[in-house]
Amino acid sequence: MIDKIKEIARDAEKKIANAENIEELNKLQLLYLSKKSTLMSFMSEMKNLVGEERAKFGQLINSVKQDITKRIEEKKKILEAKALEEKLKKEVIDISLPGYNYQKGTKHLFQRVVDEVSDIFIGMGYQIAEGKEVEEDHFNFELLNVPKDHPARDMQDSFFIDETKLLRSQTSPVQAHVMLEKNGKGPIKIISPGKVYRRDDDATHSHQFGQIEGLVIDEHVSMSDLLGTLELFVKKMFGEKREIRMRPSYFPFTEPSVEVDISCFECGGKGCPLCKHTGWIEILGAGMVHPNVLKMCGFDEKKYQGFAFGIGIERVAMLRYGVDDIRRFYTNDMRFNEQFHKE
Amino acid sequence: MIISLNLLKQFVDLNDIDLSYLLHKLTFSGLEVEGVHHLAKAKGLVIGEILSVKNHNDSDHLHILEVDEGEKYGIKQIVCGAKNVKEHLKVIVARDGAIIGNDDVKITKSKIRGVESYGMCCSLEELGVDKSLLSEKQCSGIEELDENAPVGEEDVLHYLGLDDVLIEINVLANRSDCLALYSFAKEVSALLNRKLNIPYYEIKANRKSSYKVSSKSEYCKQFSLRVVRNIKVKKSPIWLQVALRSEGIRSINNIVDIGNYVMLLTGRPIHMYDINKINSQEFVVRDDLNLPFIALDEKEYQIQEGDLVVTDKENPLCLAGIMGGLNCAIDDNSCDIAIECASFSNVKVRRTSTRLGLASDSSSRFVKGINPKNDKEALELASYLLQELADASIFEEIVTYDVREKEDRHIACSFSYINHRLGTSIAKEKMEEVFKALNIDITLLDEDNFLALPPEYRIDLKCDADLSEEIFRIIGLEEIKPTLPLIPMTLGGLNPFQKKKRLIREHLVSLNLNEVLTYTLINENVKDECALLTLDEECYKVKNPMTIEHSVIRKSLLASLFDVVKYNNDHQKEDVAIFETSLIETKTHSFESLGIVLKGHKFEQGLLNIREYNFYDILGIFESILTMLGINKNRLKFQSLEDNIYFHPFRSLKVYLNNKLVGVMGELHPTYMKKKDLKNTYALEIDLSSLCEVKSASLKMESISKYPFVTRDYAFVIKKEVNFALIEKTIKKYTSSLIKNVEIFDVYEGEHVANSYKSIALRLTYGSNDHTLVEKEISEIENKAISALSSLGGELRK
Repeated sequence: MIDKIKEIARDAEKKIANAENIEELNKLQLLYLSKKSTLMSFMSEMKNLVGEERAKFGQLINSVKQDITKRIEEKKKILEAKALEEKLKKEVIDISLPGYNYQKGTKHLFQRVVDEVSDIFIGMGYQIAEGKEVEEDHFNFELLNVPKDHPARDMQDSFFIDETKLLRSQTSPVQAHVMLEKNGKGPIKIISPGKVYRRDDDATHSHQFGQIEGLVIDEHVSMSDLLGTLELFVKKMFGEKREIRMRPSYFPFTEPSVEVDISCFECGGKGCPLCKHTGWIEILGAGMVHPNVLKMCGFDEKKYQGFAFGIGIERVAMLRYGVDDIRRFYTNDMRFNEQFHKE
Repeated sequence: MIISLNLLKQFVDLNDIDLSYLLHKLTFSGLEVEGVHHLAKAKGLVIGEILSVKNHNDSDHLHILEVDEGEKYGIKQIVCGAKNVKEHLKVIVARDGAIIGNDDVKITKSKIRGVESYGMCCSLEELGVDKSLLSEKQCSGIEELDENAPVGEEDVLHYLGLDDVLIEINVLANRSDCLALYSFAKEVSALLNRKLNIPYYEIKANRKSSYKVSSKSEYCKQFSLRVVRNIKVKKSPIWLQVALRSEGIRSINNIVDIGNYVMLLTGRPIHMYDINKINSQEFVVRDDLNLPFIALDEKEYQIQEGDLVVTDKENPLCLAGIMGGLNCAIDDNSCDIAIECASFSNVKVRRTSTRLGLASDSSSRFVKGINPKNDKEALELASYLLQELADASIFEEIVTYDVREKEDRHIACSFSYINHRLGTSIAKEKMEEVFKALNIDITLLDEDNFLALPPEYRIDLKCDADLSEEIFRIIGLEEIKPTLPLIPMTLGGLNPFQKKKRLIREHLVSLNLNEVLTYTLINENVKDECALLTLDEECYKVKNPMTIEHSVIRKSLLASLFDVVKYNNDHQKEDVAIFETSLIETKTHSFESLGIVLKGHKFEQGLLNIREYNFYDILGIFESILTMLGINKNRLKFQSLEDNIYFHPFRSLKVYLNNKLVGVMGELHPTYMKKKDLKNTYALEIDLSSLCEVKSASLKMESISKYPFVTRDYAFVIKKEVNFALIEKTIKKYTSSLIKNVEIFDVYEGEHVANSYKSIALRLTYGSNDHTLVEKEISEIENKAISALSSLGGELRK
């Protein structure tokens, strides 16, 4: 009987080792370990034995049973791993194909610059004031110290709608609206981005273009504050190494008035085609708000003073991103628009 | 304006002043240098005399010349193609090695069709002189020098007065005084601290005036006149021709040239009349005439009431400040003339000039503003020149009409004000020096306050801020150090609307839409297209459009967006998803609009997985915006857009908020698509202003049910025209709040379903926040839901 058990053990070891899949293994499990199996049937023989013999016999059966169980478990793990491996192999995909489209679209370059500039000034405590584009002559010109028949009107050929209304030729009328709303009480710290319209069309001029107007008014705001503010803005927008300089200029609504140049970011000031070999690039106009404007807009010009500046949106974008023609902003060729995708 | 350096040097000492230093000083004091040109540019020239002219054997137009180049260089052979070569002609020779013209052309000796040529005979154009300053004859051949020209002279440019530097200055609108060379010289003298040398002439009158002058218009308060007799009209001397040429003015004759030269120097336009052609002894300025007028340009202009006109009492002689009349024009036989120097209102000159489309150097100076006080100086200078250059011998007294009120031009100001405005601490002595250099008289009132009296030609100086600019531009630029405003704290940021708008824009970009920017002004022909949000509103029209393409203010963004789609379709981009936000303004209302257009396909995974856009794309985007704004769909009313020509009648929506139309969206109408040459296009336009104003409930946590919800699926057959919204609404109406959700997960039409019916699969979610629903409760609600469906004609499929 003992020999028979040992034979079963040897037989089982061989068959388990040779099992090729889980199903076969499950059959072997039934064959060797179920209650009806030959091995288990020997258990019933136990009652015919006594003493040491019985114990020895019991131990033998148990150890064979444990051995088979262990071998089946181990083999099962191996077969399962093999099965999984085969399954995975069948699941191979081309991981070099493109992923599903979760890409962002692209903000328009014009808006991108507006948002960038706005964020810089918001960080300095400015609010954003917006206005209508169909504007009263009174706000677009007269309150800004440009009365009827003033020669400065020829500087800006406007689109008129009727005797009193026009498409605003500058964002400056927003200044006048804000000042009147403030009822003569400072401080004011705003920028106002928006579209403006002039009768002009070529590679550097479009009949529609964008401006960002800035206005700061309080009792002790000076020209040096204008310089400091613009210097900060320019460094944020064009890089920390940029320097700025002012050149006297003329705008009817500021006195003194200046044009502001920045050191060329292409050549660092050495001179290159971008800066026309001067090392400097003109980027904005600015000045101290004219006392007449303060007065007409309800502020005591003896008590208050302030500065204003105007930035050309496309000009900044063209310089900063190397755009060659202002009309590209309005053509919306996706091959252009989509280039400004990166955050 | 163009400044001739040679001319400027006559009036201010520029000895030893470095040109680049002068240019820098000008630019940084407000007289921006826009360009510097040499009137002519050449090295290696000599004046020669043609000794003989032979035809070239091998050419039908070339000549072989023998040219005497003086003692130093001797006689040279030159091959020349100009037609006007002849023996004994004095010519400009560019010798072997010469460099000529703006492009630095190098001349070397060479063989021309086998004949040695040792240089070239030049035209002025070849030396770089602008064509507009040359006569036709000068342009068509080599320059013919005066017969007395010195052969062998090497500084040819100096001999011809062409050794000049032209400085192009952008004179700012408030500094019209600098358009007068005298004033410009004064400015330079102040900037460089150099001596002025402006002559003042006075010609003694040798006769009483035979004319009277007056004005009947309040727009001419000063009118001065001098009669000069016995003049001779002839060619101007070389120096005057050269001076004018440098300034870009072509020489005509001595009289016209004197007029231009006086205007150039003094900034005062003067006008000259041939008095022998005038039948009156009186000049009267009027603005009450209505009649035609033939001006010097021989064209007829209609004078209207309001136009300032110089008359002989009855008949117009001159469109004041703009152009004289042909009837009294100076001609080659003129002998006795009257010179006028008046102050015409810039407003009137500007209006008449604009209306007639007639501008002149004179009108442009009046419009920009003239020195009102130097009329006598201008007349005296003209008289002097007429005496010197036109042999004038009889000078009548100057007669003047002048009713101008005396104005006090003193400006009260203080040194501390200027420093406060500039943010500087400039010493008052330094400021006083600046004012002195600029001829601004200062009267000190106390330590700080003073009265300033600007010179009469500085018509731009009117208030204390103007004085601060003078200090700023002369010495302030270097004194100003950057600071930041020290003012009460202000809170920066976007307002709620601006914030929502930016979030929506960023949201749309994150949905893979591209933002675009289009023109506000559009063609009137498309103004009504898709403008359903502003249907009965009238659009603004521009009175003076540049082109018909941009002539009205749009009432809708969509037509512009379709143009963008079309442009990209025409440039190999068939599939486009774009949006724009922009202000829309009509005569009755304005709002911020959002337009979206989807055209073609959505690329889910490169080309592997693409699908056509459909109605639910545009709807889904709209729904996502509503969610962002916290607007429950129940607050809006949706309606199909049936009666319109732009959208598909059954695949489009109108959205109302409180009975106000705030949005339209859907598939474009096939007919409209065909018209716009588009395919498979979906569009949306919504009134962002109205939607952003909707107040949404503030965010507060809601408790999450601890008890499990139960979902059950139902399939039923129902008439095709019953839409999902109605089913959902009816189920919710019939049942209780224990139905948490009604979702549709399949719609089927076809086999096994009767013709006008569809099969719909619904999933209902049952649940309560305070207990687990028992089967009895569920089946009770379930029955209600089923009867709700029955009421719509729906029948459960078994």
